[in-house]
Amino acid sequence: MDLKYIGNSINRVDAYSKVTGKALYPQDLYYENMAFGKTLRSEHPFAKIKIDTSEAELIPGVLKIFTHKDIPNNEHGVLHKDQQIFCDKIVRRIGDPIAFVVAESEKICEVAIKKIKVEYDILEPIFDPIEAMKDDSIKIHGNSNILYHYKLRRGDALKALEDSYFVANNTYRTHSVDQAFLQPEAGIGYVDDDNKVTVVVATQYPHYDREEIAYCLNIPMESVRVLNTNVGGAFGGREDITLQVHLALAAKTLNRVVKCVYSREESFLAHSKRHAIIMKYSTGVDKDGFLTAIKAEIIGDTGAYASWGDNVMRKAGVHATGPYEVKNVMIDSYAVYTNNPYAGAMRGFGATQVAVAYEQQMDIIASELKISPVEIRLKNILRVGSYTATGQLLNNSVPLEQCLKSISE
Amino acid sequence: MINLNINVNNKDFEISIEEDKRLIDLLRDDLKLTGVKEGCSEGECGACSVILDGKLVNSCLIMAFQINNSKILTIEGLGQGDDLNYIQKAFIEVGAVQCGYCTPGMILAAKAILDANQNPSRDEIREGISGNLCRCTGYEKIVDAVELAGRYLNGSEIYR
Repeated sequence: MDLKYIGNSINRVDAYSKVTGKALYPQDLYYENMAFGKTLRSEHPFAKIKIDTSEAELIPGVLKIFTHKDIPNNEHGVLHKDQQIFCDKIVRRIGDPIAFVVAESEKICEVAIKKIKVEYDILEPIFDPIEAMKDDSIKIHGNSNILYHYKLRRGDALKALEDSYFVANNTYRTHSVDQAFLQPEAGIGYVDDDNKVTVVVATQYPHYDREEIAYCLNIPMESVRVLNTNVGGAFGGREDITLQVHLALAAKTLNRVVKCVYSREESFLAHSKRHAIIMKYSTGVDKDGFLTAIKAEIIGDTGAYASWGDNVMRKAGVHATGPYEVKNVMIDSYAVYTNNPYAGAMRGFGATQVAVAYEQQMDIIASELKISPVEIRLKNILRVGSYTATGQLLNNSVPLEQCLKSISE
Repeated sequence: MINLNINVNNKDFEISIEEDKRLIDLLRDDLKLTGVKEGCSEGECGACSVILDGKLVNSCLIMAFQINNSKILTIEGLGQGDDLNYIQKAFIEVGAVQCGYCTPGMILAAKAILDANQNPSRDEIREGISGNLCRCTGYEKIVDAVELAGRYLNGSEIYR
């Protein structure tokens, strides 16, 4: 059969515009008479704040300085609305947005931003999630810093570990990572001819952005348009909103076209990170090299805000045993608030970090039993007929063994 | 204000600029050549690469006043009208384009490599694009594309 696409190499539909430089990203859009916006961000990881914009407002060319007083609904967030569009009383991380200056030029914005007075009453920050989990720790939100706890139980892991021939006990730590997509956040806000508040932005979720804009501005969803341009990389880092509501609010209030472009430095401050995770593993094995049990405590530093923390740490927990069959499993994974940069989506979404732990455990066990790293894996790898730690029967297409054999040859 | 005479993409311009304007801002804001991308503003990422008097440079690190009487090539000047240049064609065919933000700078880096050597090794290509970051591809296909463009250029592969 002659197939039009399958088996054929197809050129990307957007490749022509990208190799010719015609592809437009939000920073590439220029309008007559547009105003510029710039965000004032917190310089401290945990502090009570008082803001005085009066002197900055007097600078010629400043159109308006937006703060928490100007936004009908100040809270946002993809899962939990625990972030503020503009912090009102407290900042919880370095880079929290406090104000959005809109002026006739970017240079005026920069001058004005330095004239905004922020009084910081500094609080003791928490950077270690293990400290943050303690009962007597200072609470960053509500009455617990534990945002989320996922439990996975199969069989009796404690007993199986006791009965094991060898148990590898180790703690692994991965660090926070920025997606570092190449196109820093940028956007344009305006009110279109049909009176719709329009935000042109490079985003992973135009529909979520639209919901958040409508909610924060307290206007119907039908009054909001989000236009997605070319997206200059994202890797999870464009799942939470950054400048979308700032631009919508400014455009609606001032009835002007407003442009905002983040620098690389501001981009790092603005968006989520990959979760830094502490993973305490006990992996048991019998004398023939078959896994008997995995017990793991997996603590994810979700930083100052939840973002996708619940989902990321659930995924870390679900994947904690890796591609191996284990009959006795006891996993506890947590997402914990700290005053670090907030963590959210990034490629792999929690599944990436746990591989660092469970694979090193396999190597350590292989070395202890004096068998090869390939052999220990072939003994334990998931096959057709295996059950995953979460109880799923794999009834077809599990070509892991084939894959492992062909790469090890 | 300073007056400049420059040639950009084979067109002459006489232009008056502020002293603190960077080359990237002159190209993007004044000439609307937005294929010149800004990624880091400190010469790390190469998204703003242009060819200045035959040399690949980061336009974010050059002040506009430094380029009087210079000749500049940006991505917009590479093809002939709507026709693609052989490097652009190779990038499309190999699948070396993903998000596209590094692509204009990467293609100009490829041109600088191939202008000097029509038959570069993979190591030489990697060295030549070492000032241009790509976060999507992992570089393999970009290196493939520069190799293919080299074959188009030296005639060992027929340009279709």
